[in-house]
Amino acid sequence: MRFIPKKVDDSVNVSKEHPLVEAGTLVIGLTLIFAAIAAALILIVDLVLLFVSPEREAAMFSNWLPDGIVAVEEEDKRVVALQALTTRLARHWEDSPYEFRVEISADDDLNAMALPGGLIIVTSGLLDSVESENELAFVLGHEIGHFRNRDHIRALGRGVVLTIFFVAISGGDSVANLSMTISDLTLRGFSRGQEADADKFGLELVYKEYGHVAESWRFFERVGDEDNALIDIAAYLSTHPSPEDRVARMIELAESNGWPVTGPVVESEGY
Amino acid sequence: MDGFEKLNVVLQFGLPFLILVLAYFVGSMIERRHFRNLRKREAEASGYPVITFETLPADWTVGSTGLVSGNVVVSLDYFKRVIAGLRGLVGGRIKTYEPLLDRARREAMLRMIESSRQSGYDAIVNVRLETSRLANSRRDGDGVAGVEMLAFGTGITLKNRRQA
Repeated sequence: MRFIPKKVDDSVNVSKEHPLVEAGTLVIGLTLIFAAIAAALILIVDLVLLFVSPEREAAMFSNWLPDGIVAVEEEDKRVVALQALTTRLARHWEDSPYEFRVEISADDDLNAMALPGGLIIVTSGLLDSVESENELAFVLGHEIGHFRNRDHIRALGRGVVLTIFFVAISGGDSVANLSMTISDLTLRGFSRGQEADADKFGLELVYKEYGHVAESWRFFERVGDEDNALIDIAAYLSTHPSPEDRVARMIELAESNGWPVTGPVVESEGY
Repeated sequence: MDGFEKLNVVLQFGLPFLILVLAYFVGSMIERRHFRNLRKREAEASGYPVITFETLPADWTVGSTGLVSGNVVVSLDYFKRVIAGLRGLVGGRIKTYEPLLDRARREAMLRMIESSRQSGYDAIVNVRLETSRLANSRRDGDGVAGVEMLAFGTGITLKNRRQA
């Protein structure tokens, strides 16, 4: 028997497709699939929301406090004062199904959150920076506005559903972490339309409480002046309109409703 | 957006992307060079009989025998790993791994042939290929550090070299 060497085709074991073509196909295709699933999940949450009444939600979450929120002592007089202010404002929303609870989170960021069950969390950083009760009243009124439109539970529902989705598809490897971060950036918080509606309702509450809306937007003017240095951009400005636009819209709103933009301002002592 | 946040965004998204691009270019350069090298050495080794027979042809007269082997350990670059990870979500051929295993198999064969030649054998029979996964040094033992490809066979010298 003789051994006759032959030239072997050395390309049969390697695909002809360029690796970048494969990469592009996978990235674009998967992005489209994920986007479609995420959109479907968001729609499902919105549908489910139609069947959970605000009363039922309020009952379900009546004593709930999210993990990771460092609440200031309950006896703190700031909590008491804040609770009183919130109750006063909420009185003007007559058929409110919520009994609002206020907690202060020991956090230097300037932020306020609306959470399921009528829970409003205000950061101590925000409390330290407000210069009048009227400013604070508008921030609280804005959060109450989110409750009226039920934005808070929509956002929470989406967040939970999308987190489960991303964990499920990837089991927590590096690709998954990337998609988690992107979903955090794009879907945490509320849309600009939701923010505008909440602003409107908040301003209305402030007007009903004080008879004028003076200083309501001073907080945003100041934040704009300080070049947003204190605000966590990713969590706040990406979903909130820019402070300048927001102030302009609020002034317009006050004028069209005939709400006076000047009036006696209450000191922020005690907050 | 202040400096720290910008830095954070750059680190979170820019750095992995940069590594990905770098891994692609470096990885494909190394791959091209390796394939060129393999073709050259394979051309040199093409007259050397490497056979998978377990039993010798009746007309071959063997002088001496011995085990010959060649092995190689290959690892993935980050680009291939990421693409394979995406592929793992939908299934299908992991095309980015194919050149890698092809290189490993051919390199192991060439090393076996080169070692057999050095030992003075005229041919290798009963050639087998094996692979084994090398675990990562990560504490959870997850992930793959690389794959070992081992080629081994029986080197033989022939009484009459023209037989083969």
